[in-house]
Amino acid sequence: MDLHCEAILDEYRENLPRFLEVKEEILSSLKSTFDEAGLLLAGLESRVKTESSLAGKLELKGQKYKTLADITDIIGLRIITFYIDDVDKVASAVERLFTVDWENSVDKRKVHEIDSFGYLSLHYICSRPDFPYRFEIQMRTVLQHAWANMNHDTGYKSGVEVPKRYLRNLSRLAGMLELVDEQFSLIRSELTDYRRKVQALVASGNLDEVPLDGDTFRSFLGLHPFNQLNRRIASVNQAEIQDVPLMNFMPVFKAMGCNTLGDITRIIKEYSEGAYQIACYQIGLTDLDIISSSIGPQNLCIAFILKRGGGRAGIKLMFDALNGPSESNESIAAFLVEQAQDLPFMNQ
Amino acid sequence: MEVKINKQDSNIIVEFIGRLDTPASVEASQAIEPVLADAGKTIILECKELSYISSSGLRIFLTIRKAAAAKGGKVIVRNITDDIRHVFMMTGFLNLFEIQ
Repeated sequence: MDLHCEAILDEYRENLPRFLEVKEEILSSLKSTFDEAGLLLAGLESRVKTESSLAGKLELKGQKYKTLADITDIIGLRIITFYIDDVDKVASAVERLFTVDWENSVDKRKVHEIDSFGYLSLHYICSRPDFPYRFEIQMRTVLQHAWANMNHDTGYKSGVEVPKRYLRNLSRLAGMLELVDEQFSLIRSELTDYRRKVQALVASGNLDEVPLDGDTFRSFLGLHPFNQLNRRIASVNQAEIQDVPLMNFMPVFKAMGCNTLGDITRIIKEYSEGAYQIACYQIGLTDLDIISSSIGPQNLCIAFILKRGGGRAGIKLMFDALNGPSESNESIAAFLVEQAQDLPFMNQ
Repeated sequence: MEVKINKQDSNIIVEFIGRLDTPASVEASQAIEPVLADAGKTIILECKELSYISSSGLRIFLTIRKAAAAKGGKVIVRNITDDIRHVFMMTGFLNLFEIQ
């Protein structure tokens, strides 16, 4: 290595602690920006080039660099997204955080001809006003990342001749992954549209038009449909209500034949009295003054099943669905059937 | 009321013996403080010899559950009697815990 390259390496050694520090600062500012934006990433990688890697680079093309500041990838970061349209969101966040050297940044997504497929990635060369060296940020999807790694594995950069058929297969794969990336984004955008429509229907009260599924049930729970019943039950003992997740009731309502959110609201209307009577009978003579918000839907389902003749087997199935299959659910079911037979709602 | 705490590998076993009623709950709350501090583990609430639980007792179970949820831990309620299972069911607590 000549003196010029040795000088660059000396400068590197001298500044290595600062490079490591700045890399952590950049990483931390990126993380907090993405967290605030609610951007879910597949990965966020960072590294400071090792001395041996830098020496190798200088051996190969040392004369290209006048000083260490001409080498733009001493600090390198890679942001890996799940969705292709998130690459642009990430890029826009990077543009806000740092100064982008547009002349030296490359959008490899745009460099391909219409009939070629291959490495797709967005590379920004960035800088900060308080740090004299530039750094590189690469942004790509998880599929582009996988392809890039596989491609790198072939050693095409090493100068060793790789048979054309392997390169052609890699190129075909790149084309396929590009399509897959687009499809994932399309599915996400269609799902977002569906959720918006459902939320609008739920909010407008057109519940008979809303099919029952995980998304719609979650929106429905946002309307607190069991609150009135829970408050009525709590009033029996002036009990405190502990809010708990109620998503596990979705498959139970499905099994009870509910196809729309409208079906659930009808059950609430028709069986709330039965659910209340069960609660009065059970806790009315105790001093229990704490209940969970699942008591309302739980007793609604019990009242529905008993009234429809589902009996012990039906109640056991309900608890199996809610808490996992267990023999002890059988004894609970027997206990409930015995208790409920004298309650007024069963004889109406 | 007696509360015994044992650590086994990555599990914490909290054994409740006797009646977990309102007066006993004050003492039990203090006894479980080390468990709350270490709630990132699997916490097994052993109830084989728990003969009664009041609302205050349920609150203690809930406190442990909340601490575990906040720290990435897990709570398993083990060997509850039928009477206590009924209390859990009547209050809607049955859905809150993994019961073995």
